[in-house]
Amino acid sequence: MLPDEVLLQLNRDFPCRESQIHQLAALYSQTLPSPSLLVAHGLTATAKSTLVRAFLARSSLPHAIVNCRECITGRHLLEHTVAACLATVEAYYDETLDKRPFARTDSLSMLAVNLGKLLDGRDKFVLVLDGVDRLREPMPTLMSALGRFGEVIPNLALVLVTTLPVRNLHHPGTPHLHFLPYSRADLLEILGQKPPPIFLTPPSAEQYSDYTPELAAEDDAWLWNRFLGAVWDSLSKHTGRDLISFRNTATRLWRPFVEPVISGQFGTRDFSRLMVNRRHLFQLEDSVLDRIMPAAPTSTNFILSKPTTAPGKPLPLTKKKTLAYDLPYYTTVLLIAAYLASYNPPRTDVTYFMKHTDKRKNRRHRTASTKTATSATAVTKTKSRKIPRHLLTPSPFPLDRLLAVFRSLVDGRVPQVADVGTQIATLTSLRLLTRVGAQGSGAGDVLEAGARWRVSFGWEYARSLGRVVDIEVGEYLVGGVD
Amino acid sequence: MEHQRCYIYSPTEPEERARKRQRTSKPHFQAQLPERLQTFRDMWSHQEERIQETLEDADSSTQEAIANFVSASSQDTEDLSLAIPTALIILGPSIASHGPFFERLGRRIKHDTNNIYVVLTSGESPNLKTLLKNLIKKVTSRVDDDDDDDEMRRPLATSRNGPKLLDFDLGHLQEWQKRNRAQNIVLAIQDSNAFDASVLIELVDLLHSWLDRLPFVLLVGIATSAENLEDRLAGKTLRYLQGQKFDVTQPDEIIEKLFSATVARPDARLRIGPNISQRILKRQRDHVQNVQDFVDALKYAYMSHFYANQMSIFLKDGISFEDLSSDDVEVARTLPSFRSRVEQLLDESRVQEVRKLLDDDYHTFRVLTEAIASGQNALSSLNAAATILSRVRQALQMSPEVMCSTIWTRAAAGEIIGSPFLRETMLLVRRVPSDKFAQLLNALEHSEGDFVIDPRPYKQELEQLLEQNPDSTPLRTQHDVRNDSVRTTVVAQKVLLSKHKAALSKQDKAYSELVGRFHDEMECFFSSAFINPQTLLLSEVLIYDLKSPHTEVFQPKPRYAIERALALPHDYLGCDCCSGVAGKGEGSALSGTQPASAILYQMYLESGALINVSDLWSAFHAIAGEGEEEEDGESKTMQRGLAELKYLGLVKPSRKKTDHIAKTMWKGL
Ligand SMILES: Nc1ncnc2c1ncn2[C@@H]1O[C@H](COP(=O)(O)OP(=O)(O)O)[C@@H](O)[C@H]1O
Ligand SMILES: [Mg+2]
Repeated sequence: MLPDEVLLQLNRDFPCRESQIHQLAALYSQTLPSPSLLVAHGLTATAKSTLVRAFLARSSLPHAIVNCRECITGRHLLEHTVAACLATVEAYYDETLDKRPFARTDSLSMLAVNLGKLLDGRDKFVLVLDGVDRLREPMPTLMSALGRFGEVIPNLALVLVTTLPVRNLHHPGTPHLHFLPYSRADLLEILGQKPPPIFLTPPSAEQYSDYTPELAAEDDAWLWNRFLGAVWDSLSKHTGRDLISFRNTATRLWRPFVEPVISGQFGTRDFSRLMVNRRHLFQLEDSVLDRIMPAAPTSTNFILSKPTTAPGKPLPLTKKKTLAYDLPYYTTVLLIAAYLASYNPPRTDVTYFMKHTDKRKNRRHRTASTKTATSATAVTKTKSRKIPRHLLTPSPFPLDRLLAVFRSLVDGRVPQVADVGTQIATLTSLRLLTRVGAQGSGAGDVLEAGARWRVSFGWEYARSLGRVVDIEVGEYLVGGVD
Repeated sequence: MEHQRCYIYSPTEPEERARKRQRTSKPHFQAQLPERLQTFRDMWSHQEERIQETLEDADSSTQEAIANFVSASSQDTEDLSLAIPTALIILGPSIASHGPFFERLGRRIKHDTNNIYVVLTSGESPNLKTLLKNLIKKVTSRVDDDDDDDEMRRPLATSRNGPKLLDFDLGHLQEWQKRNRAQNIVLAIQDSNAFDASVLIELVDLLHSWLDRLPFVLLVGIATSAENLEDRLAGKTLRYLQGQKFDVTQPDEIIEKLFSATVARPDARLRIGPNISQRILKRQRDHVQNVQDFVDALKYAYMSHFYANQMSIFLKDGISFEDLSSDDVEVARTLPSFRSRVEQLLDESRVQEVRKLLDDDYHTFRVLTEAIASGQNALSSLNAAATILSRVRQALQMSPEVMCSTIWTRAAAGEIIGSPFLRETMLLVRRVPSDKFAQLLNALEHSEGDFVIDPRPYKQELEQLLEQNPDSTPLRTQHDVRNDSVRTTVVAQKVLLSKHKAALSKQDKAYSELVGRFHDEMECFFSSAFINPQTLLLSEVLIYDLKSPHTEVFQPKPRYAIERALALPHDYLGCDCCSGVAGKGEGSALSGTQPASAILYQMYLESGALINVSDLWSAFHAIAGEGEEEEDGESKTMQRGLAELKYLGLVKPSRKKTDHIAKTMWKGL
C-alpha cells in the first residue's frame, strides 16, 4: 500500500475517485502480487489516463505507459512498447542494456519474447496500454494475445485502458476496474474546485477598499458553483455530459455571464437576477459547440444595448457573412446547379428548368395543387408526411445534367468554353463536388463522360450562394424550402 | 456494337493527293526577330517587376498578422485547455496562387524567429502515414547536422542497435527538437480542401497528443470558408484546435491592383487594347479568378505582338533608320491608320506631303517614329484621365461604384468622351461642397504619375476660404441643389412651383468661383485627353488588341469544336462530294459521302437517351448504302464510326436494354 499522505494527495487531486484510487492502491503495491492483467474502463474524461499515470508516478513501481493514440499502426505499437519498456528498465535499474536483441519487434509473439527477455529475473513491471481499443490499425488478434501475456511473462502486470469493458480476452477471471461516469454532484464538485475569477482586474482599491482578495475568492466560488449548476441543468445535461465538454461550455459562458456584474449592474450575489438577465445564454446552442475560432462577442453587446426588451436570438452575423466566399460568377451558378441536380429528381427537370415555361409560376402551381389535395384528404394523408428534400442525402448526377441545369439558370448564352470544365475540375479538387462511381478516383479524365458527381455541401451554403447571384435556390428545389 | 472484337480495316486509298504547292520565295516573316524579342524582354521584365511588387504588397499585411500570430502562440502555452494554435487562412478559390502564398509566408516566418516551417500539400498526403513520413523528412532535413555528432547526443534509448523508430514516428521530431529547440514547428496545410477529412482529423488528433512535447502551430489554407472546414472536421477535433481567421486580399481586388500596375500604368510603351482587357477581366470575373492566369494572358498578349507583328520593331527604344529592313516602311504604309492619315491629308489637299510620305522612306520613317512618341504621350494622358476620373468618382462616393478597370477599358475604347457617365461626374464636381472638395483634392494629390492638374494651389485657396468661414457648415457652390428652394405660390387657384436661388454668402461666392475654375480646368483636360485611340497614327503598333489568338489560347471550346465538326464535316473537309448536299441549313445535311461518324452523329442527335443499334444500322444503311454487295464494308465503317463516337464519350454500352447503347452527351452543353 502507498503511504497514506500520498493517497490523500491523490484523493485531493482527483475528487470523486476514491474507490478507483483505493482499488489501484490495493492491486499495485510494492510487496503484494498484482494481477497479470487489469482492464480499466470508463467513458471519456473519467480520469482514466491521468489517474493511472499519477498513481504509478507516485507508486515507485517500474512502469511504462504507451499512449496508443500516438501509434499509427499495430506494428508501431509493438516497437513503441518495447522501446518504452527498455527506457524504463534502464532508468529504473540505472544500467545500460545491450539493446541489439530488441532491434525488431514485428509481431505479437515477438513482443512477448522481447518483453520476457527484458524482464527476466527482474521485479514486477507495470505496462499500461492506454486506449488500446482506439488503436488505428490493430492486428486482429491483439486483444486475445494480450490476454495471454500474463501466462508467458510472470512478472509483467499489464493494464489495458479502454472505453468499454473488453469481451474477447478469453480469460474469464480478468479483473476490471470501472471508472464510473460522474454524476451531477460529482461534476459540480470537481469543477467547483477551481473557480475562475469574476474580476479579471480587481476593482479599484480606493473605491472598494474593503473588497479583499479573500472576499473576492469567496464570491467567485459562490457564483461559479451556482452558475455550474445552471449550465448543467439547462445545457450540458442534454448534450456533452462528460467533464471536458461541460467544462468547456461553462468556461465559454462564464465571461458573458458575469459581464453585468463587472459593469456594476448587479452585485456578485444577485444570482437570480443575473440568471433572468442572462437567460439567453442558456437558450442558445452556440456555447456547446466546439469552434476553432472563439465566438465573436457580438451577442453581449447586442444585449447590453437594449437590456429591457426581451433578448431575442442574437443573429450570428459573422457566420452568415463568411459562409460564401467570393467565387467567380459562373462557378457560383455551377455550384447551385450541382446542388439542384443532386437534390431534384431528374424527371422533374422539365418542369423546373425548361426555358420556355415560367419556372416560378410552375412551382407555385404545383405546390398549390398539392396543398389543396392534402387538405381535402387531410385525415388520411397527414401520416405520410415527407421529409423535405434538402434534408436527404444528395444523389449523384451525370455531367450533362449539371451543364443543362447550369445553362437554364444563367440568363443569356454561355459560350461552350473549356473554362466551364476547368471550374468543375477545380470544384472537385476543392471537394465541393465529389466524384462518385467505380472508375478509379483520381485516375483518368476528371471530366470523363459517364462519370457522376454529387455535391458535398448543404442547403445553407447553397442558399447563400444563391443570394450572391440573385437566384432564389428554394424556388427551384422540388417541394420548395422557405 | 461490340460483337466483333477485332476486324481488319482497309481504308480506301484516296485517288490523288493534293499536290503541295512549292514555295517560290522566302518571305521575311521573321524580319528583325531578335530585335523584337529583345524589346519584348525589356518591356516584360519591367512588367514582371511591377507584378511581383503588387502581389507582395497585397498580402504583406496578412502575412505580418500571421507571423505575429505564430510568434505569439509560443508564449501562451500555459492554457488550461491545451489546444493547437491554428491560423485559418482564407485564400479563396484560386488554387494556383496558394502555393506562392505559402512560399512567401514561409520566408517571412522562418526569417522572423527560430521557427521551423513545413508545407504539406494534399498530393503528398494521401494518408496519415505518408503525410507523417513527409513531415518528418522535411523537418529533419532542414538542419544538416553532422552524423557523428548526432550519435553522441542521441539519447540512449535509440542508439544504433536498439529498436529503431519507424519512419512515421513523431519520435523523430522529438529527437530533432531536443537538438534544435525550435520555438515553433509550423505546419502549413496548403490546400486543406483537397485533403481527406479523415486524414486531417487523424493528423489533428495525433498532433494534439504530442503537443506537450512538440510546439506545433497549424496554418490551414482554405479555399472556401472557415465554416466549411469546421463542418468537415468532427466535433472533438475542433476542440483540439484554437485559433484565428485570416483573410487575404480578395482576388478581385488584387486583379484590380494588378490591372492598374500593368495595363493602366502611366509609362507603358505597349498598350493592351480595350477588347482584350475586357476579355481578360470578364474571364476573371466569370470563370477563373486567378492571378497567374491574368499574368499569363497579359504576357501572351505582349508575346503575340512582338513575335508576330513585324511592325512592333517601331517600339524599340531609340530606333534608327538603319535598324529597319528594306520593306518595313513599305509594310507600314499598308496599315489602316496610315491610310486614313493619307486620306485625311488628301482631304486637306496637302498633296505634296502625301507624295513625300509615299515616296521618301526616310521621311516616312521620321514621321512614324514621331507618331510613336506622340501616340505614347496621348495614350499616357488618356490613361491618366481614366485614372483621375475613377479617383474623382471614388472621392465623391458616387454610385454606382464603377471599378477603375471598367472606366479604363471604356476610355480605351473611346467611349468616355461625351458619355452621360462623364457628364454626370462633372456635374457633381461642379456642385461639390467644400468638405468633399477637400477630400477630392487630397485624393488627387496622393496619386502618383504626371497629373496635368496640380491640386495644391486649389488646396491653399480652399484652406484660406475655410479659415474665413464663420460657421462649421461646409461651403456650397451656386450649383448646389441645397441652395435652391422651391417656392409654392397659389395664383388663381393654381399651384405654382418656382425655383429660387438662395442668396449666396460672400464665402460661398468665392468658393463657387474656385470650384468653377477647378471644374473648367478638369473639363478641359478631359476633353483633350479622352481621345479615340484608334485614330492615332500607328495605333496598330501602339496598341495590341487582337481577339483571335487570345481566345483560342485562353478560352478554347473543345466540345463545341467537336460537335460542330461532326455536324458540319464539309466545312472542315472541303471536299466536292459533300458540298452540294450540305448547302443550306444545319441538320438536313445527310449524305452517304460523309464520314461514317458524322452520319451517325446526325442520327444520334435525333434519337432519345437509348439508341437501338439495329435501327441505327438500317438508317445508316439507307443513307450510306449503295448496293447489296458492299454490305460488309459498310458494316465495318459503321462499326468504326460507332467506335469513334464511343471514344469521344458520346455513347456507352447500356445494360438497360439489349442491343441498345446509351447516349451520354447532348449537343450544346
Ligand atoms: N475526478 C477528477 N478530478 C480532477 N480532474 C479530473 C477528474 N476527472 C477527470 N479530470 C480531468 O479531466 C481531463 C480528462 O481526463 P482523462 O484522464 O484524459 O480522461 P480519460 O482518459 O478517461 O478520457 C483531465 O484533464 C483530468 O484532469
Ligand atoms: Mg484517456
